Amino acid sequence: MSRLFKILLLPSAAVLLFAGCYPGGPDFTEDLDVVYTTFNPEFDFQAATTYSRPDQIVIDVEIDNDGDTIYEFMKQIYADQILQRIDANMANLGYQKVDVSANPDLLLMPAAMSSTTYFYSYWYCWWYGGYWGGWGWYYPPYYSVSSYTTGSMIITLSDPTSDNPINQTPATWIAAMNGLLTGNNDVSRVLEGIDQAFEQSAYLKTN
Amino acid sequence: MKKIFIAICTLMVFGLTNIEAQTKTSLTYGVGFGMGDLGDFISKPSWRGATIDFRQMTTDKIGIGFSLGWNVFYEEKDFDTYTFENQSLSGKQYRYSNHIPMLASFDYYLTAGQKINPFIGLGTGVMYSRRNTDMNLYTIEQDAWNFTLQPQIGIEIDNNLSSSFTVIAKYYNGFAAGDLTENQSYFSINVGWTFKS
Repeated sequence: MSRLFKILLLPSAAVLLFAGCYPGGPDFTEDLDVVYTTFNPEFDFQAATTYSRPDQIVIDVEIDNDGDTIYEFMKQIYADQILQRIDANMANLGYQKVDVSANPDLLLMPAAMSSTTYFYSYWYCWWYGGYWGGWGWYYPPYYSVSSYTTGSMIITLSDPTSDNPINQTPATWIAAMNGLLTGNNDVSRVLEGIDQAFEQSAYLKTN
Repeated sequence: MKKIFIAICTLMVFGLTNIEAQTKTSLTYGVGFGMGDLGDFISKPSWRGATIDFRQMTTDKIGIGFSLGWNVFYEEKDFDTYTFENQSLSGKQYRYSNHIPMLASFDYYLTAGQKINPFIGLGTGVMYSRRNTDMNLYTIEQDAWNFTLQPQIGIEIDNNLSSSFTVIAKYYNGFAAGDLTENQSYFSINVGWTFKS
């Protein structure tokens, strides 16, 4: 075997091994699905028994030239399935759904979004000056879901009785399901994600 | 006749001695088995690995040189929930651990010049370790340059005068460094060829 051949053989074999044999990763988009939850440990969930929620799910927001805010809502055929699954999980944990005028212990807000940019603006505007008015909402800095980007479903529970000078209410529980909304007309992955979010949040169970 | 036979034998012995390798270059495929912290992180063996060993023979029995290797460990974890303080994250994890040892090595050959030639050796140097934990589109990356000790035992079985079938058992122990606060160690079985020149 010539010296030149050996010189060429060894690096070539190494390159082939490095390039051709590197292990793979996810095979299907479902493999990328993750469900993240976090909660405020200072909030007593066992003392809460009622909640209220909107009956629509915002998926996008536009601000036109006049400064008016226009919300785009998820098609109701899909939103209903998602909301019903959320209600079923809340009921299993012992919560009762009431009208927002009945002073609920918790406010539940679902949202689906495709961009982190909308996360802050949408939530703050919609919650503070829009749907229910009066209450505000802010995103606690110690939670770390700001990097969710595409196809995310977010559910937030917040405490409307929280009092502070700027009239905002902190989130007591956040569930973020990333990778679930990918343009497919099947929401089964979203529903599974919702179930998982509640399953991994046993501390929500009320008396 | 007897003198001629002795002369031929003498020539053969001298001949063998003269053509004994001055350098040895081994190319081996290695299967790795993670141990300790690495084994806890990825329990499955690494089926992807290779090592190049070069030795300059200073005597028939002693070779010094370098060893350059690579092993990647990989495991796809089942869907599971990982909880840290007040946060929980569920999903599938894809774990990778790459190890590239770069070592100065010494080998002692027990039966130099024989068809079957076992050897023992020790390497020392650094190993670059990079650990990735992937979930969704994100990865947590940790890396380290580990000071490394690597004892080994092996055997060469001559195929002809210029190459040998080679089996080596290597144990890599990379001491804690960088982002990896535990030793990174693995055991590797290497199979390949040694080319002599």
